[in-house]
Amino acid sequence: MGVVASSKAITVTVNGVEYEREVEARKLLIHFIRDDLDLTGSHIGCDTGNCGACSVIVDGGLLKSCMLLAVQADGATIETVEGLSEDGTLTPLQQAFSDHHALQCGYCTPGMLMSATALLRANPSPSEAEIKKALQGNICRCTGYWNIFEAVKAVAR
Amino acid sequence: MSGSTTIAPDPVEILAPQKQWSGQSIPRKEDKRLTQGEGVFVDDVKRHGMGYLHFVRSPYGHAHITSIDVSKAEEIKGVYGTLTGEEVASLTDPFFQLATPPGAHLKDYALAVGKVRYVGEPVVAVVAETRDLARDASELVEVEYEPLEALVDARRALDDATPVLHDDAGSNLMWEGVYEWGDLDAAFAEADRIVKIKELHFHRFNSTPLECDGALVEYNRGTGQWTIHTNNQFPGFAAIMMGPAMRTGLDKLRFVTQDIGGGFGNKITSHPQLVACCLLARKLNRPVQWTEWRTDFHLSMSHGNERWFHDTEVAVKSDGTLLGFRTKALDDAGAWLRYEPLGGVIWAQVTPGMYKWRNIRLEFTQVATNKAPCSPNRGYSRMQHLWFTERMIDIVAHELELDPVDVRKRNYVKAEDMPYETPNGCVYDSGDYAQMLDLALELIGWEGIDERKNEARSRGKIVGVGIGSTLDSGTNNFGQSRLINPELQFSGNNEVATVKLDIFGEIVVTLGTTPQGQGHETTAAQVVADILGCPVDDVHVRAGHDSYWNSHAGFSGTYASQFAVTGLSAVKGATDMLAEQIKRLGSVILGGVPVEALELAEGTVRIKDNPEAALPFMACGAIINANNAGLPEDLDVTLNCRYVYRPPFEVPDVERKFGNLTLTYAAQIHAAVVEIDPETGHYEIVDYAAVDDCGLRIHPQIVEGQVMGATAQALGAAMHESFEYDGDGNLLTPNFYDYHVPHALDMPPLRTGYIESASPFTPLGTKGMGEGGGAGIHAVCAAVQDAMRGHGDAIVYDSWNPYARVWELLNKPEHARALVEVVSS
Amino acid sequence: MLLREVEYAKPASVAEALSILAADDGARALAGGQTLINVMKARAASPDVLVDLNGLDELKGIELGGDGTLTIGAMATYTEIAGAAEARARPILGEVCLQIADVQVRNRGTIGGNVCSNDPTNHLPPLMCAVGAQMTIVSQSGERTVPASEFFLGVYLTAVGPGELLTKITVPAGKRDGFAAVTLGADGTCIANAAAGINGSVRIALGCVDAVPVVVEPASADEHAVREAVRAAGIEPPADVHASSEYRSHLAEVLAVRAARQAAERS
Repeated sequence: MGVVASSKAITVTVNGVEYEREVEARKLLIHFIRDDLDLTGSHIGCDTGNCGACSVIVDGGLLKSCMLLAVQADGATIETVEGLSEDGTLTPLQQAFSDHHALQCGYCTPGMLMSATALLRANPSPSEAEIKKALQGNICRCTGYWNIFEAVKAVAR
Repeated sequence: MSGSTTIAPDPVEILAPQKQWSGQSIPRKEDKRLTQGEGVFVDDVKRHGMGYLHFVRSPYGHAHITSIDVSKAEEIKGVYGTLTGEEVASLTDPFFQLATPPGAHLKDYALAVGKVRYVGEPVVAVVAETRDLARDASELVEVEYEPLEALVDARRALDDATPVLHDDAGSNLMWEGVYEWGDLDAAFAEADRIVKIKELHFHRFNSTPLECDGALVEYNRGTGQWTIHTNNQFPGFAAIMMGPAMRTGLDKLRFVTQDIGGGFGNKITSHPQLVACCLLARKLNRPVQWTEWRTDFHLSMSHGNERWFHDTEVAVKSDGTLLGFRTKALDDAGAWLRYEPLGGVIWAQVTPGMYKWRNIRLEFTQVATNKAPCSPNRGYSRMQHLWFTERMIDIVAHELELDPVDVRKRNYVKAEDMPYETPNGCVYDSGDYAQMLDLALELIGWEGIDERKNEARSRGKIVGVGIGSTLDSGTNNFGQSRLINPELQFSGNNEVATVKLDIFGEIVVTLGTTPQGQGHETTAAQVVADILGCPVDDVHVRAGHDSYWNSHAGFSGTYASQFAVTGLSAVKGATDMLAEQIKRLGSVILGGVPVEALELAEGTVRIKDNPEAALPFMACGAIINANNAGLPEDLDVTLNCRYVYRPPFEVPDVERKFGNLTLTYAAQIHAAVVEIDPETGHYEIVDYAAVDDCGLRIHPQIVEGQVMGATAQALGAAMHESFEYDGDGNLLTPNFYDYHVPHALDMPPLRTGYIESASPFTPLGTKGMGEGGGAGIHAVCAAVQDAMRGHGDAIVYDSWNPYARVWELLNKPEHARALVEVVSS
Repeated sequence: MLLREVEYAKPASVAEALSILAADDGARALAGGQTLINVMKARAASPDVLVDLNGLDELKGIELGGDGTLTIGAMATYTEIAGAAEARARPILGEVCLQIADVQVRNRGTIGGNVCSNDPTNHLPPLMCAVGAQMTIVSQSGERTVPASEFFLGVYLTAVGPGELLTKITVPAGKRDGFAAVTLGADGTCIANAAAGINGSVRIALGCVDAVPVVVEPASADEHAVREAVRAAGIEPPADVHASSEYRSHLAEVLAVRAARQAAERS
């Protein structure tokens, strides 16, 4: 794998679907997801890796997809917000967000849901302090976060 | 106490009959798509063959453009074309200016022409096959500049030696006006003490919506029609600015939005960039896509008004009765007037704040500087003035050693005074500020504050508590623009809605608004369902905004805290019309029964005394749309109703600067407890309470959500967020790395409370709300100042108080102390 | 936001990585990417080749030696360090790693990347100085070990030269450590920070005040001694939007005292 090249053919599995694409080395994973795969649920809110709107789960780990090159995700299994619900009905987490008004404009929501999902997988009964720490990397300008804490608490066991 | 709790008030008499849907926090219709990532935000929209636009932006705060060469960029394969200021100046006319001279003389175009006046100003646009290529090609555009001295301190703007930004204006003065009401001389003669404050400063920041601006513009050569997919939140204003500039009729500018990722006023003035997109879509004969990145937004878009208050004098009695004030407000508008100078009058919606004083003089001067242009930011212009007002109250209390609670209650407009006419003729519709303050104090544990302070002292920390009271005036009378410029032909306000009953009984609603998370689809449906007596799930409200729906008017958009009044009143009006039509149709079909004998219930029109005799809505829709033979000729029923709501306004008196400028006045009173580490100046908000009153609440959860969001933004602004510039006009906080917006770990525990003072002026008793009025900033400033008591007694003189400033206030109070002086009258 | 064109390689061994780095002056190691990708987005620096280290198992892992010495692979992430049982041998490491940015960053960001980027506001450079870490650097000509005190050379500049890679960091056993910071928001970017380690003598490293951590060795962990030592160092911190030089100096002194106190209170 020592080939030095400005583009690469990659294979990724996103929400259970396999994709093969040729991508430039410089393309960020978030642009690949949004522009190449037409999965526009993950969003871009900044250009310094601070806002977390692009958060996805790659090989089981939560990360910001604007801070990874698409070529680095070759062979990876990726989960985005579009994959949370299997049949179009809201998951308990998504329902809890709605019940608790944990979203207003909805722009941060996909990233927020992925971060909450990652948290609950690792820690099904988080304390409020743990919830806050887990969501620190997701900026919201609309809600002030309080309702988001309530929504995550509601689905915590 | 963690998380948030809400305390219900004592029951309030509700003027309207009990409703089935309004007043309930029903599930939001928007949530299903948004939680599944199926929202459609502007960057999600794609068109075959679209070109991606990148702006080459000025690296200088102030410079002549001596040459532009785009040839190397255009040679690159895949670059579709470019646009320069020279082209723009030949293809378009300068944007209409609201100001009188000298501001009126500004020549503002979609791209810089001849000169750049702020770092980040768009100079050239490059369009290419991919985002990356447009970005790469932009580096091959060669722009030569001759740098000039930059002006970044508004206080120097009118000095002789200071460079002038706009030769067309001949001065950095953009607008000025003097406001005076009552009898200042008498007030100051009657005063026991005069509190003088040399300088106060409201800082420059904005609400940084998570989604930045953007557009995808298509041009139809055959019809000359532009379709502008964008997240501009005030298409009415954008169209009025763009049409004449582009020498085209407004109908040729079709605005389409669906989901918008936050606006907060910051998405009102993207019209220059939209014009660039339109010109390129036409020139290149392909759709043109523009994404604004975070840094672009920080550098160039919609900074909130930065305002100085100089030589303030407050006339006060020894017992704390406030008699009047005078001040000189200096507003730093940035490099261009994009919505300004309206900020020069909009503050006057809340001239006395929550207080009863009648003698007020404010000299308003607005200047241009080499910084990003200011345009509305949540709380637009009122927040600055209300912060200033609360500072006066707090500093007076501080200096005269009075209880800030007592001073407020002594001077608040009382519930029994409502509706209350302010010194400049605005009418506060309703409210009970004293009750709200009591609630806030209870929530914050005011009684136990001394204990709290002692406990903190034992740990080496300093606790301070502060109150911030604010008004959220909503539904503008655009006639106030004539106080800025008597030649302007704007007045009143409007919003539009349509409601139709379709062939299969579908109830379809269109709005003229551009919601960015306020839940319009949901609240509109609640109002409709209540009037039509049907399940709220049967009401379908179209998402977003589209000019082609013809469901908009001149002032359509979502801004200025008004949807619950303008939008929902339009919905009510249209639905009332529809309800009446359904009954008239029902009257005919049910055998000539009089309309008064009919009611709408359970999705039908039926005879009150004989509910079995019912005509389902589906049947009504089918008859009118597909089966209408035999209906009486004079039956004027279409089941497709359009209503334009017009709030009751008069044109203000331009001479006296007097008249009602806004229809409703929501209010918020907040209390903050801060704990300061005196060794470092680091502080945290350890407790917080927010009480609001926005009249009748259609959807309580949505209202609370707005209060919470505004609170979080205000706390961020008070402690961290500022657009700081260096002497050359470079923005030092151009992205989220240095411009810290609060995140989950920064949030204090929050307690909320509310009362509902219905507005007597609106069809639903609602008041607009959402902006909030910056109460969090006022409260934090008050809390920090309270902490200074006995520790140097510095006054808080700036709305931005990061750790460095708090440390300075504690360790070098002399600077702050020198700003205030109390004299006996 | 959009990167310049770049070439990319994902070597399968350290030897391969070194070969690519040696072959091109413009080749840069890509570790967690939590700094480098941002730099490339801003086009402040644009390497010709990115050498992705994420496939190199040799650079991962955390081992605890019999004598309590910790050997941490340069590619160990902050999350891994914070969660490793081994790392509890030197608790300050995990504690400080948990203060860095947010969980997304911690899942990718590496200790090697943090020290090699040597941003003056980073947490780990001063911490490595305070705990007396040893940094192992390899090149095609061999391996060498540089103490933390000689590793940080200038702004964004370390002893890792062209064609070289940091492979592991060795931290001696110890528990008497402290770390204090004033950050932009909770657990945010450091405005000022200080790390202290007591191992016989007291060593305090001040971050954010110069291009590299400034190390002082007061006579004791006593407040007076610490303040004396910091003042004697004659720091002239940079001024920026968050702090004047004077304020930052003052914070450095206060934080040094606090870090030392923390260290002294641990046993």
